[in-house]
Amino acid sequence: MLALAGMSESVSEMAPDPGADGQRVGRMAAWRRGVGLFTGASLLLYAVAVITAPIDSVQGVIQKILYLHPPLAYGAYLGFIITAIGGALYLWRHREVYDHLAVAGAEVGVVFCTLMMITGPIWAKGTWGHWWSWDPRLTLTLLLWFVYLSYLLLRSFTEGGERTARFAAVYGVLGTLLIPLNYFVIDLFQGRAMHPENLSSGSLGAGMGLPFLAGNITFFAAFVYCVLLRWEVEIGRARWAEREAEGAIS
Amino acid sequence: MNVFLAVLWKDLVTEWRGRDRSVAMLVFCLLVVVVFHFALPGGATRETQELAPGLLWVAYVFAAVLGLNRAFSVELENDALTGLALVPRDRGWVFLGKAGASFVILGIVQAITALVFGLVFEIGSLGDVLPLCGIVALGSIGLCSVGTLLGAVAVRTRFREIMLPLLLLPLLMPILSGSVRATTELILNGQVPFEPVQLLIVADAVYLIASFVGFDYVLDE
Repeated sequence: MLALAGMSESVSEMAPDPGADGQRVGRMAAWRRGVGLFTGASLLLYAVAVITAPIDSVQGVIQKILYLHPPLAYGAYLGFIITAIGGALYLWRHREVYDHLAVAGAEVGVVFCTLMMITGPIWAKGTWGHWWSWDPRLTLTLLLWFVYLSYLLLRSFTEGGERTARFAAVYGVLGTLLIPLNYFVIDLFQGRAMHPENLSSGSLGAGMGLPFLAGNITFFAAFVYCVLLRWEVEIGRARWAEREAEGAIS
Repeated sequence: MNVFLAVLWKDLVTEWRGRDRSVAMLVFCLLVVVVFHFALPGGATRETQELAPGLLWVAYVFAAVLGLNRAFSVELENDALTGLALVPRDRGWVFLGKAGASFVILGIVQAITALVFGLVFEIGSLGDVLPLCGIVALGSIGLCSVGTLLGAVAVRTRFREIMLPLLLLPLLMPILSGSVRATTELILNGQVPFEPVQLLIVADAVYLIASFVGFDYVLDE
């Protein structure tokens, strides 16, 4: 996150100087390639760790989805938080680069959230016997998924770059307000949850800690890689649109 | 404050002269009551009483979406929205005026619908009227505040009729769950527990403040 914030500062300052701007985007790409290499190496370790991990005596092989599902969830929430931060910074500083960061966070967050919503029910069917339960955490996540799908639809249905960024920023920040409010709803009305509580130290069986840790590291790195890539693409696209406009004027 | 009163007065007078928004919302709500008659098991059974508050609030929310869409689409004629954006005061007051007018119009529709709903399905008693008014008012403050903010956003998009419900419905979860819970308790047990009312007050405060501040960014020339 600190690296992302630092990069956003450096990229946002390059607008008046195209040469320096290009240099900074190049530096960002170098960072991304580094993260990509790390993700690839980590993915290998993760695959080996998951394959060699012991099979759970109660849940069977389906328990291995838990090496995938929680890391996807962290990515999804992180994506939505980045969207809100990017949106708030855009409303405050009016710099396009923050809007580009918000788009990157939302798109990658939606992808992670969708994968999480697919893997969760598969595990639930095998363990609970139901594809879905209106469990507090599941309901909250489903609503957030809808909020950010609507966010992306809003972006595609609004005309004008500045207006799109402004509307999306307001909606992105508003969507984040839903998180504490929904936790309030959950606490008040829904009682005991079916979804497992957060893992505490020692709650995983022997040999299950390494694949879980590897999963978290790998998916976090993959998330950072995807956000950086998408951010870079969005910056490039904006620059290309500017050049097109300049060409049309001249 | 003058801006708030001016916008509120303008919207209410416009509605009084045309009555298109309120009539459309009311007819829609009454039609929903008829549709529920076919969807619910007949008569005033316990099941009907348990389901009725949820169904009533579904009708309210969809009627509100209709009204909120119309609240801003009329401002597109003669580019009146630009006039609102150029108001020489904080745009939050414009928001309060628009939201207040929607709240009043929705309130009238809600009152008539609740009366018809109660009579047709034999639900509730005279003693429920005052607490129900309180619950509906609390629910409608949140609904109209976030709905007005998003109505101003949706009106500047393509497919604005579909955009407003897409943006609004996921954010209404706290309002809807609080309102339905409180209404259900009132109808089934004749009393309103504090928890859902507390939730409604918190959600109203959050949405009202966020929408007041956010409106400055969504109203453009």
